[in-house]
Amino acid sequence: MGRFVRSPKDVVTGLLLIFLGAWFAWLGSDLPIGRAIRMGPGYFPLVLCGILAALGLIVLLTGLDFGGDAEADEDARQIAIPWQGLALITLSVVVFGLAVRPLGLGPAMGLAVFISAAASRRFSLKGGAIMAAVMVAFAWAVFIKGLGLPLPMLGPWLGGY
Amino acid sequence: MKWKTVAAGLAALALGLTPLAGAQAQDYPSRAISMIVPFAAGGPTDTVARLIAESMSRSLGQQIVVENVGGAGGTRGAGQVAKATPDGYTVLLHHIGQATSATLYRKLPYNVLTDFEEVGLVTDVPMTMIAKSSLEPKDIGALVAYVKANKDKVIYGNAGVGSASHLCGMLFMSALGTPMTTVPYQGTGPAMNDLVGGQIDLMCDQTTNTTGQIKAGKVKAYAVTTKERLKALPDIPTMQEGGVKDFEIAVWHGMYAPKGTPPAVVAKLNAALKQALQDPKVIARFADLGTEPVSQDRATPEVHKAFVASEVAKWKPVIEQAGVFAD
Amino acid sequence: MEIFDHLALGFSVAFTFQNLFYCFIGVLLGTLIGVLPGLGPVPTIAMLLPITFGLPPVSALIMLAGIYYGAQYGGSTTAILINLPGESSSVVTAIDGYQMARQGRAGAALATAALGSFFAGSVATFLLAVFAPPLAEIALKFGPPEYFSLMVLGLVASVSLASGSVIKALAMVVLGILLGLSGQDVYTGTPRFTFDIVELADGIEFVALAMGLFGLVEIIRNLEDEHTRTVMVQKVQGLMLSKDDFKRIIAPVLRGTILGSFLGILPGGGAMLSSFASYSIEKRVSKNPQQFGKGAIEGVAGPESANNAGAQTSFIPMLTLGIPSNPVMALMIGALIIQGIVPGPNVVNEQPNLFWGIIASMWIGNFMLVVLNLPLIGIWVRLLTVPYHILFPLIIGFCCIGVYSVNNNVYDVYAMAAFGVFGYLLVKLDCEPAPLLLGFIIGPMLEEYLRRAMLISRGDPSVFVTRPLSAVMLAIAVLALTLVLLPSVRKKREEAFKE
Repeated sequence: MGRFVRSPKDVVTGLLLIFLGAWFAWLGSDLPIGRAIRMGPGYFPLVLCGILAALGLIVLLTGLDFGGDAEADEDARQIAIPWQGLALITLSVVVFGLAVRPLGLGPAMGLAVFISAAASRRFSLKGGAIMAAVMVAFAWAVFIKGLGLPLPMLGPWLGGY
Repeated sequence: MKWKTVAAGLAALALGLTPLAGAQAQDYPSRAISMIVPFAAGGPTDTVARLIAESMSRSLGQQIVVENVGGAGGTRGAGQVAKATPDGYTVLLHHIGQATSATLYRKLPYNVLTDFEEVGLVTDVPMTMIAKSSLEPKDIGALVAYVKANKDKVIYGNAGVGSASHLCGMLFMSALGTPMTTVPYQGTGPAMNDLVGGQIDLMCDQTTNTTGQIKAGKVKAYAVTTKERLKALPDIPTMQEGGVKDFEIAVWHGMYAPKGTPPAVVAKLNAALKQALQDPKVIARFADLGTEPVSQDRATPEVHKAFVASEVAKWKPVIEQAGVFAD
Repeated sequence: MEIFDHLALGFSVAFTFQNLFYCFIGVLLGTLIGVLPGLGPVPTIAMLLPITFGLPPVSALIMLAGIYYGAQYGGSTTAILINLPGESSSVVTAIDGYQMARQGRAGAALATAALGSFFAGSVATFLLAVFAPPLAEIALKFGPPEYFSLMVLGLVASVSLASGSVIKALAMVVLGILLGLSGQDVYTGTPRFTFDIVELADGIEFVALAMGLFGLVEIIRNLEDEHTRTVMVQKVQGLMLSKDDFKRIIAPVLRGTILGSFLGILPGGGAMLSSFASYSIEKRVSKNPQQFGKGAIEGVAGPESANNAGAQTSFIPMLTLGIPSNPVMALMIGALIIQGIVPGPNVVNEQPNLFWGIIASMWIGNFMLVVLNLPLIGIWVRLLTVPYHILFPLIIGFCCIGVYSVNNNVYDVYAMAAFGVFGYLLVKLDCEPAPLLLGFIIGPMLEEYLRRAMLISRGDPSVFVTRPLSAVMLAIAVLALTLVLLPSVRKKREEAFKE
């Protein structure tokens, strides 16, 4: 981080907001804008993108220090991102989405619980398997038997429908 | 004699080649059938579906579960059925939007005319042209003149792009040759709220939504959109009576199965549908909605198929002329 | 007094064994689905509709109504315990309620929510009984310009939900609005920000966004310092409210009830706004606003009362005008039609049994809820003492099935995963997710009303200031925004001067 950066967090936030504003504007670039009287679908989003980018610029500027008194945020140094947890939690949800139609609710639920359990340092194969089994049983009892959700426990790949 | 033997042999062979399909069709239905309604629960189409499903469940001996797959003007639910396994366990109950979506949506991921097996028509729900109670014109004739004279002032509300009220409005404007300012809402509820509150002037919607308000005098009813007057609202003239020629629209509902569903299964569904349409309970509830089941001869796959094709052809020019598309 | 005759009639209907039974089933089921994240009243009522075929109309409606307001009660439970708001109305509760839970005061938070809701529900039911028809007429006076101004007011209020930088909160609101605009444009049907995926044609699902931003992010954050903490809450304090707590919640509950009762009548988002508005008011009148966001009991009491009052009064347009104010009310109208009753302004006169029976049952149902929920608090609180590495995979499981069951759409599940990651990034950058969520809820309505107002006024923007109701609300919004922005501007200036 250079001398001009007072708060790296604010700089990153500002850049992110400007990027998001530009990205949304680009996504909506082929939407008709219309006029104020009869606004098109692109009118309101474009205005918002402008505001978002402007706010991003303000945040960016507040993160920079033009006074030369370079004193970076203390807490900015201590970001310890739990990469493994982040990846496994996300993976477990995505796996649920991939599995729920072809394999059915039971296997999808079991996989999601098992994979997410692996995100913990205290994870053990046996513990994860037990939790997965408990949750599958619970989901079956509450959601399928109790509430009658129209979800098959086993999907077409496993002989269900 | 010889021919008969050959035919029988061929039939046996055909059956032999498709033992699975035959067996499936024979003991169909052996589990619950899901009926997809491509609109939110609680709406008029959902109500029609649930009444029919309840009656059909009784005659088929298996539960028909109504599943609401709303979104994208009904095309999301219809698309799901088009892609479903054609085994008769997934059916669609859709309204007039099935035909108009063929033109309204230029990027439809399925073909309305070729991706479905029609099971039969269900009911035609009439529509009514209603207005805020303070609108000046006394009758439908005066309304036509008023709209033509005040085309910059009159505001027509509808329940969203592709909705029945949107279609009726387009047809009305094309019949009059006069465009009106159209304000879309998300569903009939909020549109009705603004009509009763006098924020907008005109709306044309299904009797399902309007009868209660008309009877309570909260809105002014100008005309019904059917050929004949309605039993539920005998005092309200038809559009034709008011001098609006060639104006006829009803929100027809039909049942569909995915393309490739075995004919025997379609026949079973159709038989159950026909029976449901004669169910006194269904008839009574439909009457409350201001409608009645279609006649038995219209509740057939053949009539339904031809009708969908004719409706697609009828609405194509109207929608293209209005220049409104949903994508 | 006519009203007493009516109420007597209502209670005579509601107090039959059958109707008490269905009322109980309704509130019990409502609590259950409210507690289960994701599964809301709409799919539950839709699933139960076939069962109501066989019931008399009054019993059917009493049960369905019970599910609705029962779910409002239950919804706050997961918001407080595990930071998982399953419904828009409990987003606000999650902010301070969850912080209270982390400090071991989950019991007090839950009790506050239950008692506040009960009080608000009773008062709102009374208002419903006495003033329903005139109140419904007021709701009709609200045209598109008034709604637009109300939404602006709501957005300004949502900025105050953040406890950090105002600029960042504003940016989050704007980002939320942009995300909220995804899906089909109401006016032209044009898809926006849908990446040409049919399943996204209706936009991002609220439940997916809320669970991703709140629930998943919270789990990931807790994994950061897992080695230092094994359970979420080290020490659980008393389950009930102290005398001091009682004193602190009385005024917020009263204000929340009034606000919620009024805003609940307005179809199109009124009830939703009431909890945000209440939070913002409590923060403003509080002597120590810096406590908000860090476990202020007022931040639970006010919004919870407001949302339950709103839930009751949102029946007014449905019962008196036959106009649904939200999807749940639309379902109830569907249930009535199936029963052979055509909803409309005549229901009050033609079906007095139905109208007054439902109103009386609401009071009974609220009473049942508080009796049901207070003892449950002890059980819920013990849940927090379960080791976290066992608890969180189960929460993930609930999130998955909850999100999926809303539309049976796997894209909602993927969206939840994506918002979990994005939300974590935001939190790391000190951007708070609550304002984003509110922008998401209010944004689409803001645009819809703006465009509708402009269409009806033929492009004349002066409607917003020439219509008195609208003008007053806009003036309040401007005033509130200045008040919110001023301190930060002043602070910046002071800092600048120091340097």
